[in-house]
Amino acid sequence: MSGGYNEIHPEPTTFISKYLISFDHKVIAKQFLWYGIFFLGLGGLMALLIRWTLAYPGVPFPVLGNLLFPDSAGIVPPDSYAMLFTMHGTIMIFYAITPILIGAFGNYCIPLMIGARDMAFPMLNMLSFWFAFLSGVVLITSLFLPLGAASGAWTSYPTLSTMIGSPGAGQTFWCVAIFLFGISSTMGAVNYVTTVITLRAPGMGYFDMPLTIWGLWLTAILNAIFVPVLGAGVILLTLDRVLGTTFFLAGASATSGSGDPVLFQHVFWIFGHPEVYILILPAWGIVSDLLSFFSRKPAFGAKSTALAMTAVTVLSTLVYGHHMFTTQMSPLLTQSFMTLTMTISIPSAIFFANWLGTIWKGSIRFDSPMLFSLGVVFVFGLGGLTGLHLGTVTTDLYLHDTYFVVGHFHYTMAASVLLGGFAGIYFWFPKMFGKMMNEKLAKLHFWGTMIPLNGVFFGMLMIGYGGMHRRIYNPFVYDSLKRLIPINEFVTISAILMGLFQIVFVINFLWSLKKGPKAPNNPWEVGTLEWTIPSPPVHHNYDEIPVVKCGPHELGNPNLKTGRDFQYQTEELVQG
Amino acid sequence: MGLFNMNVSSWWELSMPPKDISTHGHLIDHLWNYTTILCVFYFLLVCIGLFGFSFLYSRKRNKTPYYTYGNKKKHLLITAIIGAAVFLTIDLNITRIANNDLLNVFWKFPDPKTEKVIRVEVMAQQWMWSFRYAGPDNEFGTHDDVVTNNDLRVPVNTKIVFHLTSKDVIHSFFVPNVRLKVDTIPGRVTRVWWDVNVPGVYDIACAEMCGTNHYLMKAQLTVYTQEDFNRWLATSEQIALTTNDPDDKNLAWGWKWEN
Amino acid sequence: MKRADLQSNLAMTVTLIMGAMLFTTLFMGYAIYRSASTYWPPMGFAKVALGLPTFSTFLILVSSLFCYLARVATQVRKVEKARLYLHLTLILGLAFMLTQGFLWSHLKATGVYVSSGIFASILYGFTWIHAAHVILGLGTLLYLEIVLKNTSDSTIRKVINVEKFWHFLGIIWLIMYFTIFVL
Repeated sequence: MSGGYNEIHPEPTTFISKYLISFDHKVIAKQFLWYGIFFLGLGGLMALLIRWTLAYPGVPFPVLGNLLFPDSAGIVPPDSYAMLFTMHGTIMIFYAITPILIGAFGNYCIPLMIGARDMAFPMLNMLSFWFAFLSGVVLITSLFLPLGAASGAWTSYPTLSTMIGSPGAGQTFWCVAIFLFGISSTMGAVNYVTTVITLRAPGMGYFDMPLTIWGLWLTAILNAIFVPVLGAGVILLTLDRVLGTTFFLAGASATSGSGDPVLFQHVFWIFGHPEVYILILPAWGIVSDLLSFFSRKPAFGAKSTALAMTAVTVLSTLVYGHHMFTTQMSPLLTQSFMTLTMTISIPSAIFFANWLGTIWKGSIRFDSPMLFSLGVVFVFGLGGLTGLHLGTVTTDLYLHDTYFVVGHFHYTMAASVLLGGFAGIYFWFPKMFGKMMNEKLAKLHFWGTMIPLNGVFFGMLMIGYGGMHRRIYNPFVYDSLKRLIPINEFVTISAILMGLFQIVFVINFLWSLKKGPKAPNNPWEVGTLEWTIPSPPVHHNYDEIPVVKCGPHELGNPNLKTGRDFQYQTEELVQG
Repeated sequence: MGLFNMNVSSWWELSMPPKDISTHGHLIDHLWNYTTILCVFYFLLVCIGLFGFSFLYSRKRNKTPYYTYGNKKKHLLITAIIGAAVFLTIDLNITRIANNDLLNVFWKFPDPKTEKVIRVEVMAQQWMWSFRYAGPDNEFGTHDDVVTNNDLRVPVNTKIVFHLTSKDVIHSFFVPNVRLKVDTIPGRVTRVWWDVNVPGVYDIACAEMCGTNHYLMKAQLTVYTQEDFNRWLATSEQIALTTNDPDDKNLAWGWKWEN
Repeated sequence: MKRADLQSNLAMTVTLIMGAMLFTTLFMGYAIYRSASTYWPPMGFAKVALGLPTFSTFLILVSSLFCYLARVATQVRKVEKARLYLHLTLILGLAFMLTQGFLWSHLKATGVYVSSGIFASILYGFTWIHAAHVILGLGTLLYLEIVLKNTSDSTIRKVINVEKFWHFLGIIWLIMYFTIFVL
């Protein structure tokens, strides 16, 4: 079953082959989308439970408290709290962002935007989703184990994550779930890398690809190289937990010969640092394209943006030690990681400049995808800059494991990726579902997300700078942190507000699916290949494989006489 | 709710780090300020671009976009200059400053043979901090050691060198008022040194997730004047001699100090 | 048909890179454990007798040779010959697993248990992870037993990919043999 030849296959007819065991990249994309949105909601609920406990210690959680924590009168108990922040991190990273940005957008956009009929390996694609599904089942099951789910933080450092610190099966289930998810990710990576290289339509060179595809492709390359490293790490951790090996046991607990707990940190972050770039690259690509589309002019410095994203991809492999400054690695390693971390500023600054250059002298349409893209520029600018404080060793000695870190990575991961993801959803919804979403609700969703979001994560930066460390159940056992209660409260209220406004999105999404006005082929009036075909596309996407004759951002060409202000990629570039 | 009764200046004060009581903590505060000021500068530039261009070049205000790929020489030059400017003004500078501070201060451990230094061994465990002073024989792991739980007492203006380890999982020895933290790792010894100038009582926190009661792993730092510290140490040493039980395995965690 | 070959090659290359990264992580860990230890094997353990590991190395290398011959035979369109070499590859692969089994029980008999510390962890852990991948490889060989009935281009691609994976397993074993048993 290979679409690799761009053959037209007969359409599936049964319910199972259409919606469940589907080989169609568009269906698989939607499967990942539902899956990701479900976990986004679950992870978000966990975040609210955490925030409630931090702002109002000892107060029962409203409505759901007594249902979830009957033994403690609706108050989140300390051991559940540890499970909550562990699962919140795990779910958001692996089960929400990855499926939505990489699983859904990757699957949907790659074949369509490069002019292919499907991925190179449709069966592998289908397996990738179902392995992810299995992984999710294992993870959710772990919540119902007698001793509960994993509770050693999503970073699961030994020896806390070995049997010493985490008895019970929860942490083992976590390892198994992560490993299964890694299988799903790496299957996807093989598919994305091969598809982009071999199935681009005739005439589409690498620099004629939309930047969305660049982002997704670079992400897939990083996934392929580094997910197996995490895989090795969790296998060894599982062996320690289940079979009595001592890879990560040391000190008094290593009664039979010593391993090295810090080795796990090295392995984890060799994966972990590229992972954060894996999560952001698709959003960077999407924003780069959307800023151009809604400014009605070509992406400024598109080639250098693609190259800058590639440079960041390469550099991201060399900087992982900045997560470990407090473990006292050798001075040489410590200094090297600091210096290498700094170099990432250069390509980042370059594509920031290109983003601003794109909207400069544009003719900007402030539709919701554009608002969200502009939002990404704001939050990633802020969040990325706070990385400098953390990449510098001495300031990191104060800031490590405080809320400053939490604020930093939520600005760069949660805020940027979330806003970028919403931009993508609002942008491609017409193509995916053949209906238009409601623009007024979309704008309301934007402001209702953007403003509280800044309250939450800027508040965290402030609390962290004030010295509050992270992963603590009740900060106010420390006299020195009592003064931060009002800011914690502010953060929680902002988070609740932000959570509430997501209901606007859900309502808009579900209502538009059923009752939205029918979408034309090209509602946004842009020229990438997916907009040359109907919304939604037919099963085999393209009746004729398109031949690409110009770049993806041909907008605002003054020589255009057709009445349109853009050209499709299948049209010859109109010269003066 | 208290937060709505506060004005902006008190929010500002509240979010400042706790009082710096150490000799070298200001190095970290200064570097933080330097980094922040430059970041604010560049972020303001980004915002001016973002909000300014959004205002000036909305569809209503600018009907004809400027058709450019942004790949002319002058465009590439400008982006390269921006990239270089950020790197040269912020990155290289903060790296240089941090490196200097590390080499000249934080990694420059005082030598107990040539300077007056107080040595403390720290044992972290779930969920308690234990501190060990060498006692009159100046050897660690002997029966005259002064061992305290969750109670670290030091004199002002004297360098304190800590050697730390953990009994079970990874913890992290964090003293916010000194601005430093170091992880405590089972199976190995980590080190940190600092000196403080302001007497008083301060918090010590565990800054690495170490289990359910991670949030309760609090210890107290008491900074004494020199006389008060000597008095306390002398009394504690006397008490230690009488109360230290050689058969108590929980007490016997000290190890030979190696510089 | 050229694009299908390119896709097949590319996908297999990416897959092998992924596998290589997993084992590289293990070997990197091993290097760190070993360099941090004043003497090796640590804790008074003796080096493992080389007889069994050497024999399994021999088995897996010869099975790689047969796998190569199977692929060549497929490419020159000799189905029967290819099937014969495939059977031999599979048999030797199974023999490799059997020898590993003997190795593990020999280790147990000499007092080296899984929970005996870091040396044992590496011996058992690494060889089990390798064995798990060999089982996957055996699965792909069984798959070929079913589909290697003709010598179409698509079948040739499948044989090439299985062969590459099988050689990969042999190379990883060779590295393990030298670094864990010989050195």
